[in-house]
Amino acid sequence: MKNILKITIALAFLITLSSCWGDKTKPNYQYMPDMYKSVGYETYSQNPNYANGMTTQTPVDGTIARGHVPYDYENTNEGYEAAKLNLKNPLEVNEANLANGKKMYDIYCISCHGSAGAGDGELVKRDKFLGVPNYKDREITEGSIYHVIMYGRNMMGSHASQLTAKERWQITMYVQQLRTELLQ
Amino acid sequence: MTYVIYFYMKILYQTRKKRFFLSMKSVKLHSPLSRLVNYSLAFLLLFSLNLFAQEGDAANGEKLFKANCAACHKLDKKLIGPELLKITEKRDLEWLKAWIKDNNALVASGDKLAKEVQESNPAAMTPFPQLSDSDINDILVYTNGAPVAATTVASTEVDPGVELGKQIFKANCAACHKLEGKLIGPELLKITEKREHSWLKAWIKDNNALVASGDKLAKEVQESNPAAMTPFPQLSDEDIDNVLKYLAVGDVQPAAVATTTAGSEEIFNKPGIGILPSLAITILAFLLLSIIVAATTNKKVEEGEEESESMLKSMFFNPFLRFLTLIFVLLGGAWMLFAWLLQIDVNEGYQPIQPIAFSHAVHAGDNKIDCQYCHSSAKHSKTSGIPTANVCMNCHKSISEYNGELFDGHTKEDLDKEIQKIYDAVGWDKENVKYIEGYQQKPIEWVRIHNLADFAYYNHSQHVTVAGLDCQKCHGPVETMHEMRQFSPLTMGWCIDCHRTTKVDMTENGYYKNIHDQLAKKYGVKEVTAAQMGGLECGKCHY
Repeated sequence: MKNILKITIALAFLITLSSCWGDKTKPNYQYMPDMYKSVGYETYSQNPNYANGMTTQTPVDGTIARGHVPYDYENTNEGYEAAKLNLKNPLEVNEANLANGKKMYDIYCISCHGSAGAGDGELVKRDKFLGVPNYKDREITEGSIYHVIMYGRNMMGSHASQLTAKERWQITMYVQQLRTELLQ
Repeated sequence: MTYVIYFYMKILYQTRKKRFFLSMKSVKLHSPLSRLVNYSLAFLLLFSLNLFAQEGDAANGEKLFKANCAACHKLDKKLIGPELLKITEKRDLEWLKAWIKDNNALVASGDKLAKEVQESNPAAMTPFPQLSDSDINDILVYTNGAPVAATTVASTEVDPGVELGKQIFKANCAACHKLEGKLIGPELLKITEKREHSWLKAWIKDNNALVASGDKLAKEVQESNPAAMTPFPQLSDEDIDNVLKYLAVGDVQPAAVATTTAGSEEIFNKPGIGILPSLAITILAFLLLSIIVAATTNKKVEEGEEESESMLKSMFFNPFLRFLTLIFVLLGGAWMLFAWLLQIDVNEGYQPIQPIAFSHAVHAGDNKIDCQYCHSSAKHSKTSGIPTANVCMNCHKSISEYNGELFDGHTKEDLDKEIQKIYDAVGWDKENVKYIEGYQQKPIEWVRIHNLADFAYYNHSQHVTVAGLDCQKCHGPVETMHEMRQFSPLTMGWCIDCHRTTKVDMTENGYYKNIHDQLAKKYGVKEVTAAQMGGLECGKCHY
């Protein structure tokens, strides 16, 4: 009899062990995690070496991050008008640029501006964001479109952190195409 | 109020109708003279009714309206012809009758209004000489909106212009203005009391032109706000009138809306069967079951005690059986031990409590925001970044409270507080709609869920941009998860399974064209899998 008892105890022990990770809000346990954790600081890890405790830092003033294109127009109404008049798209209008512009537009703009640019995106339909204009109702140029993606305007926020300069220009190109289609 | 009056009139009308029928019945019994008197009396009665309340049969009117007018007219909206709700308040009854019967004749008769109306619309109105006076009367009663009141809520008392104005306001102004509370521009409720009608019109149409014309007030207003107001030359005078009407009144049915939201909140907050009671029930059921089992087995043991005991004893001391059991136990134990070892550091189902009760189901599911809108670095970088708070603010600048369906036992107040947490992190003043100057911003400390061991390399851009995989392929149906959890085991076996079965998508991958063709030839296949393209090489992920 004692044997049976021992065996059941052992089994119960094993079963409890195998289903040990009960609290799913805590990570499962690790065995010898020597090479699991990064020695260097990872992108989103805390960092005691900086005053604000974060590894990700904004670029130092006066420096330009690799691949970034500086933008000289200021985030003011004068800057907007100046960009509207003078700023031109450096990219060539072609299929590839328009295709990627559409791809990016469908991620970053479509929620409010709608798939055709008529100001009827999902958020507008659901009354979350109101008064998004139809592109055809606005006098916009490639410069002003780029400027607004860069800095935002009124209730629209800046989308510069989500898009590279090239992608912003591709979206600009695509928005202009949508506007011409809407005006017809 | 009008509704009550309408019913009262209907009852009154019906009783009178009865009387009329009674008099009709009595007609047969009387002489031609009294018949004439009765007829004239009845006629007078009807006529007086017509004069008195313009009463008619609205149901008949609806039928006639649908059959004759609805092709070109709607009650609440312009179609080909103008909207007709409460048209009797705008135009004289006799004029309307003449117009409906034959509008061309009316114009020809030299009626100025008729000419004006006809010229205001390029589409010519069909004459309806076949409609009798009483028919037209019924139709006009219907257009007064009585039956509409029965179907839609309380729109009868509201000027239709208000509703139109609301639409225009939503489409054009609401991006910068709210009725109550400053947004980019000032609040606009009852702005008509502050500023003159004509000034407002000029301002809305083109504020820059107004300033340029030397208007002092306009200059003052423009300088008081750094954001320039967009001109709206596309709005007609009528549109602006409607908007101003709407602004003067505001949202008319706040009471009705409030009650419905209160009702729905009640439903959502109602405590259903929670976890604790259901747990108690299961425990009770288990206890009951075990008692029953114990009772029945006890009996059996008592009945056949002697025989079974000896049987059991002999079985227990049988060396072969003991050996066999031992092997089974050992094998079972080893199996369980391996199962246990294999799940060390496998975090499938890991669901930590995040600092903000952010719901992917609301953002990506209900509102259909693309994953990459927030996780924008997935397309170019190794990490699929956690969005910085400025990305949250792109929308939450204007969305400062939660109005969707409640979930996971949160109340609206809870969820509003969750949105407030973003504002606390970035220093956003939601009353004045601007960032607080000199605010000490603090990071939102999200808890990382998907965490590969450092010795395994994984690159998001390779999978998202190059392979063109959906995020859901690894992260599961995130758009249905209110609280994010790890969907996949993220083990090496799991990676390799996918690499072995996934064909390389060549539609937008010109870069791989050459090597793909060579490998396809080498392996004698049409489409190369990720594994065949080197997706199993150790050094690809471990270096």
